[in-house]
Amino acid sequence: MATMTTQGPVAAPVPGTGGGLMRRLSVVTGVVVGVVLAFVGWLVSNALLPSPQEGNHKTDAVTLITLICWAIGFLVGVGAFVGPFRWLLGRDLSHEDEEFLAGKDEGVWRYFRFTTDHKVVGMQYLVTTMALFAVGGTLAMLIRTNLARPNSEIVGPLAYNELVGLHGIIMIIATIIMVSGPFGNFILPIMIGARDMAFPRLNALSYWLLFAAVPVLLSAFFLGGIPTGWSAYAPLSDQAPPGMDAFLVTIVIFGVSTALAGANITTTAVRMRARGMTWNRTPIFVFGVVTSVALGLIAFPMFMVAMVGLAMDRSLGANFYVASGGGNPWLYSNLFWLMGHPEVYVILLPAIIALLEITPVFTRKPLFSFNGAVLGIGGIVGLSLFVWAHHMYMAGWAPPLNAPFMVTTELISIPTGLLFLVLLGTLWRGPVWMRLPVMAVYALLWNFTIGGITGIYLSDVPVDQAMHGSMFVTAHFHYTLMGAGLTGALGALAYWFPKMTGRMLNERWGGIGFWTAQLGFNVTFLGMFAVGLAGQPRRVSDPAAMFATGNLVSTIGAYVIGIGMLIFLYAVLHSWRHGELAPANPWGAKTLEWQVPTPVPLENFTVLPVVTSDFYGYSENGSREAHPAAEPALTPAGVAGGGGSGALPPETAAPTGEGRD
Amino acid sequence: MTATETPVGAEPPRTPAPTGRPAWRRPPVLPILVLWLVYTVLLLLFALFVPARVMGPPASPTMREIESTVTSFSLASAPVAAMVWAILTYSLLVWRYPGKGPPAEDAPPIRGNNKVLATWLVTSTALCLFLLIWGLVVLAPPASVASTATRPPLVVDVTGQQWTWTFEYPGTGHQVSDQLYLPANQPVLFHVTSKDVIHSFWIVEMGVKIDANPGVTTTANVTPDRTGTFTIRCAELCGLYHSYMQTPVHVLSSNDFAAWLRTAQKAAS
Repeated sequence: MATMTTQGPVAAPVPGTGGGLMRRLSVVTGVVVGVVLAFVGWLVSNALLPSPQEGNHKTDAVTLITLICWAIGFLVGVGAFVGPFRWLLGRDLSHEDEEFLAGKDEGVWRYFRFTTDHKVVGMQYLVTTMALFAVGGTLAMLIRTNLARPNSEIVGPLAYNELVGLHGIIMIIATIIMVSGPFGNFILPIMIGARDMAFPRLNALSYWLLFAAVPVLLSAFFLGGIPTGWSAYAPLSDQAPPGMDAFLVTIVIFGVSTALAGANITTTAVRMRARGMTWNRTPIFVFGVVTSVALGLIAFPMFMVAMVGLAMDRSLGANFYVASGGGNPWLYSNLFWLMGHPEVYVILLPAIIALLEITPVFTRKPLFSFNGAVLGIGGIVGLSLFVWAHHMYMAGWAPPLNAPFMVTTELISIPTGLLFLVLLGTLWRGPVWMRLPVMAVYALLWNFTIGGITGIYLSDVPVDQAMHGSMFVTAHFHYTLMGAGLTGALGALAYWFPKMTGRMLNERWGGIGFWTAQLGFNVTFLGMFAVGLAGQPRRVSDPAAMFATGNLVSTIGAYVIGIGMLIFLYAVLHSWRHGELAPANPWGAKTLEWQVPTPVPLENFTVLPVVTSDFYGYSENGSREAHPAAEPALTPAGVAGGGGSGALPPETAAPTGEGRD
Repeated sequence: MTATETPVGAEPPRTPAPTGRPAWRRPPVLPILVLWLVYTVLLLLFALFVPARVMGPPASPTMREIESTVTSFSLASAPVAAMVWAILTYSLLVWRYPGKGPPAEDAPPIRGNNKVLATWLVTSTALCLFLLIWGLVVLAPPASVASTATRPPLVVDVTGQQWTWTFEYPGTGHQVSDQLYLPANQPVLFHVTSKDVIHSFWIVEMGVKIDANPGVTTTANVTPDRTGTFTIRCAELCGLYHSYMQTPVHVLSSNDFAAWLRTAQKAAS
């Protein structure tokens, strides 16, 4: 991964003494051990399990065992258990070992090892997210290509259903991690003035679990796909091919990964904030990430339980969801949506809140109503746990509950409106320094207005009779997850890119790609709203001829998105290698991550900062000088000298007046 | 500018302040109000004519109610969207600061405004209540239908299976058909179930939708009020040929329906 070289130390690494066995381990040994153990698991389970008598339970059991063996083998091979194992043996890691584990002086190889440094984990998440988006986006292009004209036989109904399922789950995983993974790991600890996460080894484990899950998920391509949509409704998923087993193993591994990451990030933010960083001085982005991962902690286990039940149905004939065996499909749908609706906010919150963090920097004024934003986040998180059954209005399950769920669902529009107000209030009266990150705010305000209002139609039970399960729903949730979520994540990437890679993101190509994608996005999904209103169901491989025009419009729009995203990707990759070198604080922001050098040193701060006010004091605290030369010291307004300038180390605190000229 | 030349933690050099009063200091209320009005009018026109038109002519009172709900929700949300977009447009056009460095002068520090916050909360709560009350009223079982329905509802048993629908008329000697025939202006009660996976029984033009679940029977009712041929589509992914699980619905006058029942019974016997 040559593109990462800018991150590595310049000097040739001096080999340390620590590490021991860990020096020999990397993603390569992980893959080798994983494949070997998977093969062993396949051989043993094939030999020992009884031959199929009823149904194809044996195939499913063998697939499950093989995939689980892969994951365990990979984790052993990559060195995930070296630390705990040595602790058990009574030979705990020495300081040198810990430094090796943190990737000290390892150059690029630290990205391919079980490395505990939160910045390395953040970069690993970033690259993985981008790869997942590339795969999921390609699948979306195939879907839209098939729908361009009626009666098209480009992929056929079987492959079409598999594409829809894989596109769905790949994008869901990518969007869940797209902000909390890269920026929650790389930026958040620095932002709160910590030297690393609370549990660095768990942090590495959460990433490598995700890494182990990706091949499992992709193996579904070769095991008959996931022809059920990513919701995998039972009992359809009971009769699906072994690709379904790959899906459910993925979900279980991913669930463990997000649980570890969630516990870790939450603990870090609660326990490791700098001295003086009270909750009302904590940057709003921290609230976004923490509420998101904490909500995931509550929600995702539901999905894992649903998947364990499905695994038992498929491999043991447990009949949790099979009506003829005494089971109930509504059990599955309830568990699924108990995760499914909070999950929407797990995706949305950090992306929107990242833009709340960005807006004050580019408008040079405080966040309009910090308390309003926190209230909005809290309201959304609280309500989001009590709205899941609005996905089941038309299921026939408990019709008397439709009205209460309609009430809770529509109430969510109030806290969501508060977030809009805070964004608009921060933009109010400008100036808005027009750089790429803040453009995402405008795109989000446009898209999320549409996404939010169309959500209100769907929340209304009578209207849902016409819209549930139609393309209108597909368009609506793309407007929220992509139009708001992904847009926010792109804004966050443009904003933190200089800190993470040491280079500026090329704004010309980045901007062209971004706006091309936004234009294509609106064309695509406005077309989908139209066919949805006219009555086209979701997930149909061959829609009726009456929907041809709308579908063609959507397909053209989708290609425009594809082109825009490729341009943006080019801008990212090119800037990563050849971009203009970034100063430590190119945006003149006040939060702590911009006060440390770029590239960020191993432990972020040599002396931990002390915080005396919040980080939005633009134009306050005497920093409102009109002339740059008269700017006071470059410590952020919010960071006290803590007894002189000693709170920040010499190299991170800022230079004095001479440095300016 | 390279990393070595710039002091760590430094802010980038600011562009000098433009001469005269910066654009973002002017009170922008009037132009934003104008933008807001223009957008609101455009969105109101859109709300009045587009969604209901795209949804097509309704074939039942249920669908008529749905379309009027969609229209009124669109009307109610028009000024809200217009306001967001008006501020967005104005800010993009007038408040932009195109410099390479951050603006020379920081903006006025607006840390909240309780009046604005309160107004916003009250307005959004009022809008939300409007939606809720509207939705709950429409959702409430219409007592009038039950009392005015002089005839008992026609019961139709609907069974979904991969990938076809079967209709049975239990009140009429268990007539079975693979297309749905309904009399106009008579309440119909569907008993819906499935033989295999979950399907969703959706008569598009009538605004009727209910899942067909294996092992349970769910119900839905409608009074078709327009004769003609309409479409049933399955609205829940149900496997390979989900997209072909479509069946016509024929709504006949009550005489024609009675005639169809007679011929179908003859054909069966």
